[in-house]
Amino acid sequence: MSKVTTELDFFGLEKKQTNNAPNKPKFKKLLDRRRSFREIQGAISKMDPEIIKSLLATGANPSETSTRSLSVPSTPKEDHQRILISPVHAPLTRPSTELVSGTVPMTIFYNGTVSVFQVSPNKAEDIMKVAMETSPKKDKSMEKHLSVIPPTTLRTKLFGQNIDGDLPIARRKSLQRFLEKRKERVVSTSPYFPTWA
Amino acid sequence: AYSNLCLLLLLPPFTVLDFNPLLDETNRILTMEDPDNKKLRSTPRNADDVISLVMPYVTDPKDRESASLVNRTWLRADSETRYHVTMALCYASAPDRLSARFPNLRSLKLKGKPRAAMFNLIPDNWGGFVTPWVNEIALSLRRIRSVHFRRMIVRDLDLDVLARARGDELEVLKLDKCLGFSTDGLLSVVKHCRKIKTLLMDDSSFLEKDGKWLHELALHNTSLEVLNFYMTEFTKLSPRDLETIARNCHRSLVSVKVGDVEVLELLGFFKAAVNLEEFCGGALDEDPETPDKYIKLTFPPKLSRLGLTYLGANEMPILFPFAAQLRKLDLIYAFLETNDHCKLIQKCPNLEVLETRNVIGDKGLEVLAKCCKKLKRLRIERGADEEEMDDERRGADEDGNEDLGYLVTQRGLTALAHGCKELEYMAVYVTDITNECLRTIGAYLKNLRDFRLVLLDQEERIVADLPLDKGVRSLLMGCEKLRRFAFYLRPGGLTDVGLGYIGQYSPNVRWMLLGYVGETDEGLVEFSREGCCPKLQKLEMRGCCFSERAIAAAVMKLPSLRYLWVQGYRASETGQDLRVMSRPYWNIELIQARRVPEADEMGEVSEVEHPAHILAYYSLAGQRTDCPPTVRVLD
Repeated sequence: MSKVTTELDFFGLEKKQTNNAPNKPKFKKLLDRRRSFREIQGAISKMDPEIIKSLLATGANPSETSTRSLSVPSTPKEDHQRILISPVHAPLTRPSTELVSGTVPMTIFYNGTVSVFQVSPNKAEDIMKVAMETSPKKDKSMEKHLSVIPPTTLRTKLFGQNIDGDLPIARRKSLQRFLEKRKERVVSTSPYFPTWA
Repeated sequence: AYSNLCLLLLLPPFTVLDFNPLLDETNRILTMEDPDNKKLRSTPRNADDVISLVMPYVTDPKDRESASLVNRTWLRADSETRYHVTMALCYASAPDRLSARFPNLRSLKLKGKPRAAMFNLIPDNWGGFVTPWVNEIALSLRRIRSVHFRRMIVRDLDLDVLARARGDELEVLKLDKCLGFSTDGLLSVVKHCRKIKTLLMDDSSFLEKDGKWLHELALHNTSLEVLNFYMTEFTKLSPRDLETIARNCHRSLVSVKVGDVEVLELLGFFKAAVNLEEFCGGALDEDPETPDKYIKLTFPPKLSRLGLTYLGANEMPILFPFAAQLRKLDLIYAFLETNDHCKLIQKCPNLEVLETRNVIGDKGLEVLAKCCKKLKRLRIERGADEEEMDDERRGADEDGNEDLGYLVTQRGLTALAHGCKELEYMAVYVTDITNECLRTIGAYLKNLRDFRLVLLDQEERIVADLPLDKGVRSLLMGCEKLRRFAFYLRPGGLTDVGLGYIGQYSPNVRWMLLGYVGETDEGLVEFSREGCCPKLQKLEMRGCCFSERAIAAAVMKLPSLRYLWVQGYRASETGQDLRVMSRPYWNIELIQARRVPEADEMGEVSEVEHPAHILAYYSLAGQRTDCPPTVRVLD
């Protein structure tokens, strides 16, 4: 499992904050080993609400750190209160919070704050692109481990669903096996397949 | 006198109330003069005593259910003489309750995983362990002769316990789409159950260590009637053992289904199995350089049910000599094109059951409709997607007519409705469908008991005649005997009104699978109104837009519902809205959303998201205690 912390430093504030020596929020350590941003979302529900509460309190009352609340071009559908109420030990069912059709929750951890936005997959891609452009590329491995779901997969395979929220019709196991075997047999009898191999 | 009584009981299903005339008749018969020696019985026997003699003739489970409610004596009569039980879900009750209620059970069928498991949607370790049931059989059910496990987890130890407990008395063992065992378990069964008549492991997954179990069967068994290892991946079996079995059991062996065994290695087997009526499987390996490769192949004289895996156009003619006696044809795993289907089907006028893929096309269905007037069951599975078809099969002909007949659409189904009036079971994957076609089915196929339609979801295909509200209503109104119904569409396929029609016009339906039906929660409200789906026991839904709350509310209104499965719905954050349907004896479980690495048709592996499932069911056994991590029980 990757041990790289996944963080999106949207506005390069990390550079600016080096002088301020911020207290690295404890919960960010819990986010180690999260590879996909979907799993980030799931991480909220697994965190102790007390920790979130205290961190949000720190974030709301900036001491040394300059906390700017994130402005992302999406309407936040959930405010922080929502997150606190969410039971810790009951993982959110994943494709669940589709309050506006076609959009799914995107969770952003930023400098001690946690925000959740309802974002369409296209928007999400845009946001991540922007983030990757603006953040300094000093840690190349972070990009890999950020594990952005490739755009095509994002479009068609989000939650195994198409962008309209469809599930593809599932194939019967036995037929799946047959069709795979058929492919092998066709290949082996084709005139270009070396039969002496 | 007793035979009169028995005749009375063979009447169609009756309710508890109907037993009063039966009681009167019983009394009348008992006090009647005995015609043989013209003497009245000195002490009229009790009607209650009679019922215990009569009860075994009551075979329908629903009748038995009614009878057992009359009084304790009748309950006892039912309990002591119930010989077969099917549990549609093994978690509905507990093994000790089963043996207490039916101590003399001879035959048991249990189902475990949801049907979705056949489509790779359920985790392998979901549950459905046979262990507690096998242990109960060993402990208390000493009359069991027949065991059928479907979609369950079976270990070698379970097979060993069962085999030792029942020994030569076990006649039937069916491991149907099961997993978890190895050939060691099979060997144990064969070693201890010397008189086994039916051994089935169709579509099961297991570890193959060797071919000893088949060898053991060949050495000792002389009573085998059915041997089935269709759709399994055995590689270490000896065809000679099969031949020996055929020879030793030639009197009794009537049905054999095998995995991928080269057919040429079965020549001896076919010669020895002189009473064989059914054969499926094998593997034909067409070789363009030796077109006469299979010319030596002869089939047993009584063979009437057949399926040859990888059968191609070149080998097809080997069936022609006896095609007229074929009653069942399995072409699901054959390599036949549309025109090949046409050629073959027209030689089979006595066909009653056909299973194939949608490559049969409208053309093939038209031939079927013309030639096979006795057709009772038709299953058209989904083959490779259109994108893989040759360009010459798509496109248009000279007149610009795009419907070349290589796909299954309303054209073929309409022909079937007119031509095959005996149809009782029809399950089809279609590329296109119309309301008029559904109406025609409702008008002509009056014997339909089971109808399943799946509209394929290829993006390029525009289905012009959606929604199908009016068509499905006509179909349901016309097919009065329908007991099982599946309707799997796409968004826009059925409005809320249409879903309401399904609810209103299915008085006899016990099982439904609905995919992409309705538009809003209102549809479910219409579906579950007073008087709708009165007999619906099992409901499966996929890809629907309904909220948890609406689903739970509908469940509370459906009077006969005892099993619900849903995947693809609007979930609340924690599943809390499902508590709307909390009630005693009703278990609610969630299979959590998962990511599963899967290979697509191109062979590329990606992680596919599987949305959460809801599974809810009545149970007398309390909540499950054997869930894997992916299953969450809602308290």
